[in-house]
Amino acid sequence: MRILIVDDSAMMRKMIRRVLALVDVPIDEIFEAANGAEALAILQEHEIDVLLTDINMPVMTGTELLREIASSKRWINLRRVIISTDGSASRRDEAAGLDVRCYLEKPFSPEVIRDVLLEVA
Amino acid sequence: MCSLKLPEPMFRPGAEEDVYAAVSDVAERSFFCLIDPCDAERFAELAAGHDDWLMSTIHFDDGQCTGSVSCRLPGALALRLFDAFSGRDPGDPEPLRAEVLDLVGEFANMICGAWLTKAINHRTFTLSPPAVVALDRVEPAGLLVTIEELPCTVDVAFGRVPALTTV
Repeated sequence: MRILIVDDSAMMRKMIRRVLALVDVPIDEIFEAANGAEALAILQEHEIDVLLTDINMPVMTGTELLREIASSKRWINLRRVIISTDGSASRRDEAAGLDVRCYLEKPFSPEVIRDVLLEVA
Repeated sequence: MCSLKLPEPMFRPGAEEDVYAAVSDVAERSFFCLIDPCDAERFAELAAGHDDWLMSTIHFDDGQCTGSVSCRLPGALALRLFDAFSGRDPGDPEPLRAEVLDLVGEFANMICGAWLTKAINHRTFTLSPPAVVALDRVEPAGLLVTIEELPCTVDVAFGRVPALTTV
């Protein structure tokens, strides 16, 4: 499984990486991006299976990224997961319209990440 | 616990508790740290021992309501949170200052998001990237807590506030 982590906090990306290393799920490669624009560039270059993205980021937000992804058939099989501090009902409704499989609120525990990966794998 | 002035009628009774619950949730679940309420006198005693504070501010905006959440904490607590979050052992090399600032920013970001989710769940807010600045000292303001026996404040403000230059 190839995973792309998108978050403007380098510490959060590092933390998610650390959690991914703890879960019992086969992972081939992990990519990182600091915003939606960087993520799109990686998606153009690599075959990614699972996208873990934050919402509030500079340059291009997670919502804008998900809209771009949803507008192309190229990423129809990409499994999309939001990891955000924003767990509002309105944001969840918005995500549901963008083919998001799971919505994870920060703070989260390693077990939750494992369950999400098992669910989307 | 200090009173926070929250505009009515957007917030239900018990809004102060929502802020405390958000800080507690973030500190305990993501940073594995114990949090306790703190009165102004105790806070002043604890704060007197620190002269290297960091303040991280997140602005929130949904087009109708705007404001900010600021967390102020001493460098010692920032390092404690860093170790808990990153898994760094005390014997490992000191983290880069940029990494600690990033961590303090994420701490405030999580608190802001958790609080908004609890307090105003029906609205969609945009959150700014965290602005982190250094302070020599702090006065008791907003919600006063201790995290692992170290002082921390969380302040919620409404309306436009001046942008801060990140250190």
